[in-house]
Amino acid sequence: MTTTTTPPATGTTTAAGPAPQPSRRTGAVARWLRHGGLSTLVFFLPLLLCFGLFSWWPIARSLLLSLQQTNFLTSRWVGLANFERVLADPLLLTALGNTTWFTVLALVIGFPVPVVLAVLIAELRRARAIASVLVYLPVVFPPVVAVLLWKTFYAPGAEGLFNTVLGWVGLGPFAWLNNGDMAMPAIVVQATWATFGTATIIYLATLMGIQTELYEAAETDGAGIWSRLWNVTLPQMRGVMLVMALLQIIGTFQVFTEPYVMTGGGPENRTLTLLMLIYRYAFVAGDYGRATALSLLLALVLAVLSAVYLWVTRRWSTS
Amino acid sequence: MTTHRHRLLGATALALSGALLLAGCNSGQQDTAAEVDTEAPVTISVSNKPTAESPEELASFERRLEQFTTEHPNITVEAEETEFEPDTFQALLAGGQLPTVFLVPFTEMQGLIARQQVADVTDYLGPHEVLQSINPSVNEVVKGDDGGTYGVPTNAYSMGLIYNRALFEQAGLDPDAPPTDWEGVREAARAIEEGTDAQGFATMTTENGGGWVLTTTSYGFGGLMQSEDGTQATVDNEATKEVLQTYREMRFTDDTFGDNFLMNYDDINNAFAAGQIGMYVQGADQYSTMVTTKGMDPEHFGVGPLPQTEDGLGTLGGGTVAIVNPTATPEEITAAMAWIDHYYFQRYSDEEVARADAEASVADGLSVGVPALPLLDQEADDRYLGWIEDQINVPRENYTAYLESTRTLPLVPEPPVKAQELYATLDPVVQAVLTREDADIDALLAEAQSTVQSAIELG
Repeated sequence: MTTTTTPPATGTTTAAGPAPQPSRRTGAVARWLRHGGLSTLVFFLPLLLCFGLFSWWPIARSLLLSLQQTNFLTSRWVGLANFERVLADPLLLTALGNTTWFTVLALVIGFPVPVVLAVLIAELRRARAIASVLVYLPVVFPPVVAVLLWKTFYAPGAEGLFNTVLGWVGLGPFAWLNNGDMAMPAIVVQATWATFGTATIIYLATLMGIQTELYEAAETDGAGIWSRLWNVTLPQMRGVMLVMALLQIIGTFQVFTEPYVMTGGGPENRTLTLLMLIYRYAFVAGDYGRATALSLLLALVLAVLSAVYLWVTRRWSTS
Repeated sequence: MTTHRHRLLGATALALSGALLLAGCNSGQQDTAAEVDTEAPVTISVSNKPTAESPEELASFERRLEQFTTEHPNITVEAEETEFEPDTFQALLAGGQLPTVFLVPFTEMQGLIARQQVADVTDYLGPHEVLQSINPSVNEVVKGDDGGTYGVPTNAYSMGLIYNRALFEQAGLDPDAPPTDWEGVREAARAIEEGTDAQGFATMTTENGGGWVLTTTSYGFGGLMQSEDGTQATVDNEATKEVLQTYREMRFTDDTFGDNFLMNYDDINNAFAAGQIGMYVQGADQYSTMVTTKGMDPEHFGVGPLPQTEDGLGTLGGGTVAIVNPTATPEEITAAMAWIDHYYFQRYSDEEVARADAEASVADGLSVGVPALPLLDQEADDRYLGWIEDQINVPRENYTAYLESTRTLPLVPEPPVKAQELYATLDPVVQAVLTREDADIDALLAEAQSTVQSAIELG
């Protein structure tokens, strides 16, 4: 009976004569296995499958769909025709303008609110936890429920909640969502209410992490409350604020639920956003080629924003 | 030598491709309805199985299913509760999960036919006499440009004037005499506004509803939104201008249009069921939604024919169509047609089935005898209603005018090309007229005309 033994990886020879040299690849595999490569792969595999199936494959499929005309039974390559049709749609500029307007308003109205709230809560000596819970409460609301609730508040008649309250001081009634100029700001206020809790908690955590010595030193130097805020608090928070601002821009550029539920894009397309246009292409017109083409264009814009985000944050972190 | 071999391979490949192509063509030709083995075992899936929330309907469905499989032992039917949703239809199709027989609304048919997402069943109607005798004006919705038939309507209604009979009475109006022209609608709206807490009139304005109702109402004023062949948009027409002018006067002169002009299908139905709206244009099938789903008093629900001007063309139809999965084999299509005949039409030929179905619906608290268009001819409809007379729980005597109109008022088809995009384009037009007193109707329609024409030409 003959037996075979695996030659040592070091390449030593046996008494029986020179053993065949292990190939470089076999050695690498053995080394990989010895260093726990297999277990790494086993742990990595579910992640790989999940991302592959639910993220990367849909992205690749979108890319393919954007170059095709399909009814999901047969597909035809159409080159860049879908992109041309998207760019020729007069509603694209309307939707882009509205989305940009929403983003700007969300930044102007929505960005300072959590910063101010976080600073105020941080100053509380008591009931800070309760204040944090109360501030975070709107985030717990299911988004559609919250949007429908606000839609009721914005009822345009004199009996609407906001109009009733404003009526006590002789204001209104306002048309709110029914008015082309007021609709988008009204949606931004709702969206701010729904999301400011998360940002406040993040800012609060940052504030709690600022070394008290800095404030003590500032006080010793005679700094008042505004001076401390301006010279200590805000500089310490600026990194987080920048990240939050850019994440907010990326998030708000993809706004859909609020205008879809509150106004359906009206009045007169004044709240029609890019994602709503994508939705219309796909589910109203059944044109997935155009829908994926616009999705990719939006992704491209967001990728550019992300690049700016990375560039700016690196610059800030080293300054 | 190599070149020669490549040429040889190329020629062989070409010949093989040609042969395969021909074989493909031939096999396609052979697989017609006439060649189908109707005795071969086949499995089909069907949608809209009643849910456990309607136990009697479910029991009735299962009885009918059992009866079907007894009569067709080679056909296995797998029933699913799946229902049509605009957001999931494409996913079902793409994922190969679309049931063999699937119910879709009338409004989807034209898009499905244009995108070739539905099977052509023309050649499979032969053995089913009842499926060939469907009311021609209703059946128009399943016809393609090529003259083919792409489905079977299973119920149909026409758009009409929905009104609240209780509010009519409160306002001193006769609930049995709904307005038949738009001057009458305006007068009734003013009376409701003055005599009740409700608003006189309303219309949907979002999610394509505004355009859909504007199109319907334009038919009543004598205007079409597209040429008959669908190549020309005719949105910018006199009738539609008149409709919008009427809207404007009701909104700003009469002040009978309320103050919310962002209403989708659910918003307006909820408001009507709650007694907040006097009248609106919608399908007569709203009875079930209002009474069964939203708890409205059956005696409060009223429906009249769509008001017409002297030039009025008629009204738009609505309803449900049973389509067949476009990937179905000829055997599956044959089995699907047998199921559709059995499940949706046997009630018109079999009194026992008609009565059992009606009894099950009544037991589940559903409405029986809802005002609708005759699916077949008037005689078949009357016979069916006679069989289930003692089960009818809908006060049909309240809808005399509407029911009479189903025999006389012409049914005008939907715009033949890109109807949903057309409706979406018209939503902002309606919103503009209702929210801005200075809205330029001519300019709005001219712009909409250009947008719709571009959409038609883009293909």
